[in-house]
Amino acid sequence: MGRDLSFLIPEMTLAVAAMLMLIAEMLRLPRVALALGLVGLAAATLLTLPVLYADTTVFGGTYRIDMLSGWAKLVLLPGTALALLLVRAELAGQDREGSVYSLLCLVTLGALMLAGGGDMMLLVLGVVLTGLGSFALVTFPRDDAATEAGMKYLVFGSVTGAVMIYGLSFWFGGAGSTLYSELALLDGRPLIATAGLLAVIVGLGYKAALVPFHFWAPDAYDGAPISIAAYLSVITKIAAIFAFAQILRDLPVNTGWPLVIALVAAATMTLGYVTALVQSNVVRLLAYSSVAQAGYFLLAIVALGVSPLALPAIIVFGAAYVAMNLGAFGVVIIAGRSIDDFKGMGRRRPLVGLAMVVFLLSLTGIPPLFGFVGKVYLFGAAIEAGFLWLAVIAILNSVLALAVYLRIIMPMYGAEAQSATATPIPLSLLVALVIAVFVTLVMGLFAGILPS
Amino acid sequence: MLPLLSITTFLPIAAGLILMLRPGQSTKTVHTLSIGVTGITFLLSLVIWAGGVVPGAFSQVEELAWIPAVGASYRLGVDGLSLPLVLLTTLLFFLSAIYSARLKDRPSTFVVLMLMLETASLGTFMALDALLFYVFFEVSLVGMYFMIAGWGHEDRQRAALMFFLYTLLGSLPLLLAILGLYLSSGTFDMRVWIDTQPLTGFAAMLALIAMLFTFAIKIPSFPVHTWLPAAHVQAPTVGSVILAGVMLKFGTYGLVRFALQMTPEAFTKAGVVILAFGVFSAIYGAFAALAQTDLKKMVAYTSVNHMGYIVMGVAIAALTIDPKIRAVALDGATLQMISHGLVTGALFFLVGMLQDRAHSREMGDFGGLLNGVPWLGWAFILSAFASLGLPGLAHFPAEFQIFLATLQAQPWAIIAILAIVVTAGLYLRSIAQVFLGEPNKKWAAMPDLDRGEMWVIVPLVLLIILIGVAPATLIDMIHTTMASLSF
Repeated sequence: MGRDLSFLIPEMTLAVAAMLMLIAEMLRLPRVALALGLVGLAAATLLTLPVLYADTTVFGGTYRIDMLSGWAKLVLLPGTALALLLVRAELAGQDREGSVYSLLCLVTLGALMLAGGGDMMLLVLGVVLTGLGSFALVTFPRDDAATEAGMKYLVFGSVTGAVMIYGLSFWFGGAGSTLYSELALLDGRPLIATAGLLAVIVGLGYKAALVPFHFWAPDAYDGAPISIAAYLSVITKIAAIFAFAQILRDLPVNTGWPLVIALVAAATMTLGYVTALVQSNVVRLLAYSSVAQAGYFLLAIVALGVSPLALPAIIVFGAAYVAMNLGAFGVVIIAGRSIDDFKGMGRRRPLVGLAMVVFLLSLTGIPPLFGFVGKVYLFGAAIEAGFLWLAVIAILNSVLALAVYLRIIMPMYGAEAQSATATPIPLSLLVALVIAVFVTLVMGLFAGILPS
Repeated sequence: MLPLLSITTFLPIAAGLILMLRPGQSTKTVHTLSIGVTGITFLLSLVIWAGGVVPGAFSQVEELAWIPAVGASYRLGVDGLSLPLVLLTTLLFFLSAIYSARLKDRPSTFVVLMLMLETASLGTFMALDALLFYVFFEVSLVGMYFMIAGWGHEDRQRAALMFFLYTLLGSLPLLLAILGLYLSSGTFDMRVWIDTQPLTGFAAMLALIAMLFTFAIKIPSFPVHTWLPAAHVQAPTVGSVILAGVMLKFGTYGLVRFALQMTPEAFTKAGVVILAFGVFSAIYGAFAALAQTDLKKMVAYTSVNHMGYIVMGVAIAALTIDPKIRAVALDGATLQMISHGLVTGALFFLVGMLQDRAHSREMGDFGGLLNGVPWLGWAFILSAFASLGLPGLAHFPAEFQIFLATLQAQPWAIIAILAIVVTAGLYLRSIAQVFLGEPNKKWAAMPDLDRGEMWVIVPLVLLIILIGVAPATLIDMIHTTMASLSF
């Protein structure tokens, strides 16, 4: 018991921090809540380092302390801290500001459960915990758009969650256990394996915004504050991908799941970017782009168990995605939601413009930025697993991606500068952007420190 | 010992970073810095040249761990194929820096982009690690995109967009081929790939097709050349010079370094097809250039023609079994890269200078300019004669070697020589229309080349003559490597 708990110190630290933040919010001290959150996240990150290379399970195999869950913490916790800074910049001084901070930390706790869970019950708990907090976050502005977005998000989430639980009961019935590690017993029972797999794709596909379960994403992101959209597009999505990895690496390959995932990946990448190509609202454009990016993650999922590059690919691209996508949304907070708001921004605010160029080119996968390193791992994993056709589709989509992102970059430098005076950027946003730019630019060159 | 190759590669971008971090410099400071840095880089490349090359291997290799988990390292080195291209690159960037000293529109950003392009180009030629090569290869696209989009002519946004999308689509298959080679060998070290040729059979053919797709777009070879005229016509003069003089060579360099050296068996199998594409490109480029009335577009299409000869030379080298003919073909192809860089660089500079004065590129708008602007006129005439392959000028020794090898290995392909007649015709026509004939009153007051422009043109003209009459030094260096290629 003591041993088991000692491995969960990072999670417990975050939970305690979230509680203290709620107390601070009750006392109407949002700045204290923010500070507690940042300190809690930093402490949890540091406390992860000693157990990073442990490869074990706790509580009877239900929770995994392995490379995937360790790096999930190193990616998601700092990512949440960046998101807190974005929220501070956008919502400072508003009523219920502190609640947002504590909700973010609680959702991240759920995300860690998804990434570390080794048991179907934990999967359900993680989906519910991330879901409940997210619904509340989306409806924060309390206006019509936010309420509509939250409602869609909630209904979509309830239905897909119910389907997932129903499908998991097949696996439980077939394997006689809720542990992922017992899924190997499904070998040779393709019907049961497929029923459960489809249910998991519905449940986690909704969370990761995979096609065809992505419809909520643009509406929810557009209704929510931009910083919340940034958070949802990054943290809950990556958590769902990590959960996919935890489950599918125990599911026997001969049940045919890699092909199913590969088809979903192809559809997600293509539909995401094609739809993004016609958006005129930058938040919706980035929403569809993050749908497509989820498809890229799946390139590694299909290679699980076959290619040694698969797990590093998920982690490296996950880390890159956190920095570049949060950064891109951060710039949207400064510029505004419409693509017209970007006209001449590159000349009005040269450094912010340059940062946006870095984020968008990294999302495209242009070297030597961090996103490129992630994509090299992803393509390598897919090719090694024999999915050359999927890598080709991914590459064609990278060209489409460039067309999508140039739609933001071109007006930034094309049109003459408007006379509007540039308002100063809040300090917290500036810090978040500097960190995001630094990671996107430099980590590509120092990718050697990442897991192998 | 000093890591000379790394210093040469990264000096330009380092200066660019300093400019970025200290904005608000005066135009004069910016241009002085840019000329100084590119000048030092040029001198450094001469020092590398003095270091020499060795047969059958890379010399002056520099190595540093980068992503050990996947076997990617930072590796630079030069041989008889890359060193001439490095010299060409540093020279053209130096001259471009001198030429762009008259630029007043956001000079700082322009210079940063130019310096970034120089680092990317040098890195592409010197990289011995495929991942590193790819990084430099792609960074050059970003720099060129912003250069065209920011400082190009009327229709620059569309041209820049098309350039970026087209060439990104072109370069991504190379990434697949690189990953394929990596997965079968466990390293990104290009020397290992050249020595062991890890892919065989069908996999090698797939990788070759991917590489050919990439390099054909970059070269550009028919039928994927369509991005070139648009990008060239809209690009600023310096952009055109760098694009044609340096960046097109990425394609032919990759064709030899990657396609020929890493998958030679597949290359030989596909040799006749590649040769046919080269021949057709050469003829097609010449006829397409003949149909142009826009001077810049005409020069752009002659690039398709000249680069077609290089593709022919490389294909001949793969098809022949006689090592002597092979060396002749590859010597010619490599020398042609250098000649084309110098000659086309000079022509684009001259067309740009003409456009600065007249704000027109239409041949029909001019006439009898030779009396008013003799320096500009004679420099253009000489460069045009070089471009059409006149003996005693830069293209002749290169094209002579390519055709010599062709005649011995695949005589049918000699029909490409037809293109030379067409090129001669189109250049003589353009000279007659622009510089000879009835003087157009409109341009009576056109000034001749000023001192800055002389500094750009005179070295190029001298080198064009020098390579034409005494190519031996350069060919010796190229031959050291080409004669020792083993496949």
